Amino acid sequence: MLVASVFLGFQTTLFNDMRPFGVMTQVMVLFAACAGVIYGAEIGAVAGLIIGLMYDCVLTTPLGLASLVLGATAFIAGAFPYFVRDSGWWNKAIAVAVASAIGEILFPIAQALVGLGGWVQWRIFVVAAVVALINMVLAPLLMPVVRWTLKETLVG
Amino acid sequence: MSAISAKRKRAIALLSLTSIILVTLDLQGSASASVLRGTFGVFFRPIEGVTRVISRPVSNAWHGITHYNEVTKENDLLREKIAQQEGAAVAAAASVRLSQELLALNGLPTLAGINSVSAQVIGDSPSNYSQNVEINQGSDSGVKVGMPVMNAAGLVGKITKVFPRRSIVMLITDPEYALSVKVINNPEAASPISDPEASASTSSTTTTTTTIPKPQPTSNIPGFTPGTTTLPLTTINVPVSIPSLTPTLTVPNNGALPIRETGILEGRGPSRVPIVRFIDSTQRFGTVLPGAPIVTSGGSLSLAPPDIVVGTVSKVTDRLGTSGPILEINLVADLTNLSFVRILLYQPITEQVKP
Repeated sequence: MLVASVFLGFQTTLFNDMRPFGVMTQVMVLFAACAGVIYGAEIGAVAGLIIGLMYDCVLTTPLGLASLVLGATAFIAGAFPYFVRDSGWWNKAIAVAVASAIGEILFPIAQALVGLGGWVQWRIFVVAAVVALINMVLAPLLMPVVRWTLKETLVG
Repeated sequence: MSAISAKRKRAIALLSLTSIILVTLDLQGSASASVLRGTFGVFFRPIEGVTRVISRPVSNAWHGITHYNEVTKENDLLREKIAQQEGAAVAAAASVRLSQELLALNGLPTLAGINSVSAQVIGDSPSNYSQNVEINQGSDSGVKVGMPVMNAAGLVGKITKVFPRRSIVMLITDPEYALSVKVINNPEAASPISDPEASASTSSTTTTTTTIPKPQPTSNIPGFTPGTTTLPLTTINVPVSIPSLTPTLTVPNNGALPIRETGILEGRGPSRVPIVRFIDSTQRFGTVLPGAPIVTSGGSLSLAPPDIVVGTVSKVTDRLGTSGPILEINLVADLTNLSFVRILLYQPITEQVKP
């Protein structure tokens, strides 16, 4: 929780200011995707749901929506170990990027499902592509932190 | 191993169910969602404050690298604009004051009569799918949900969430934003109509020919009607001196007066400009031209008072039938660079609580 709070702090300050191509870096999505890729769908989903709930508390979208989206993102990312055995760090980085892109596309769709229409536009693919690219670069740096954090809590 | 897996599955189901319940409660406007956010905020704000301090140098360096050229250009442009507008601002202020005096004299509402609170923008929404900013004034300063927010240029958005010392402002560009506005169409430029007397002559000396009939003979004898007599007309030349006059009164044609028509302004996200729909395409309103100003319409049900400047028409898309055109709007307020805003402590009559 504490590590996730620190990440959330960076999300609302540093990454909120730094917007390459007008798109905000999604470090919370990255955290959830890393959890899924490293520890599989179940642990990833639990981590994603908890991180998402924290993220929900600073968003203006309905409470619980980001939780469901990040839970789903981590669950999808958790499918990676079933397909790739003995994966290298770069394979995992690609898997994180793909999961992040899916998560970014899921978010406006989830908003539309609860009646907050208007965000399902072509722009979401640009957002997803930029977030995927950034998360692919950041994933190798963040994965050891996620591994250590979840080993002490959910896995251990 | 399977016991652990079952425990995890139960945890996933429980968390998912909690999330769904929270979504439902929040959409229903339950206070529990606000309480949860508020409680989380108490613990999270110190962490956020520390990370803000730690990350500020990195953030500043990023802005320095990515925006240096833009800032330099913008500075030059702003200096030039300030020089141009300093003179115009004096005249504009006088006109605004005169307009407000006239409105007040006629008992009409003006923006000058509405109290306001200044606030600083302290954060953006940490999401790619919402257009909100956070400001440092809340219910302690009298801010309420729905109040309009503007900056020096024009309308910025409306208050959507209020906490004691901070509020969330939904920007005009958010797809959830809608507001009743007026389009002020200027079909034709006002054509000066000359005073006929003044335009009759511009020469200083004119020889005018005047025909004066000779006096008719009358009879005082009862029952006697004098016969019709054809009298020759006498022509005389009279020199008349008329000073050179220029028409000083400009009267616009009735059809050239600005015509107002209401429509609904809708945001469409950060990458697309807002639009105005439901404009009545009447003959009298005529064709809307790019550049026509858009202001708030006000009214007893509108959350914003009348005549706050919103923007100008940038593109007109005509539609078939009676659906009216769709107008794309260039906002006057720069929403990407908000620092300070003003919240109008305005509530429509229908929202005001009677003591």
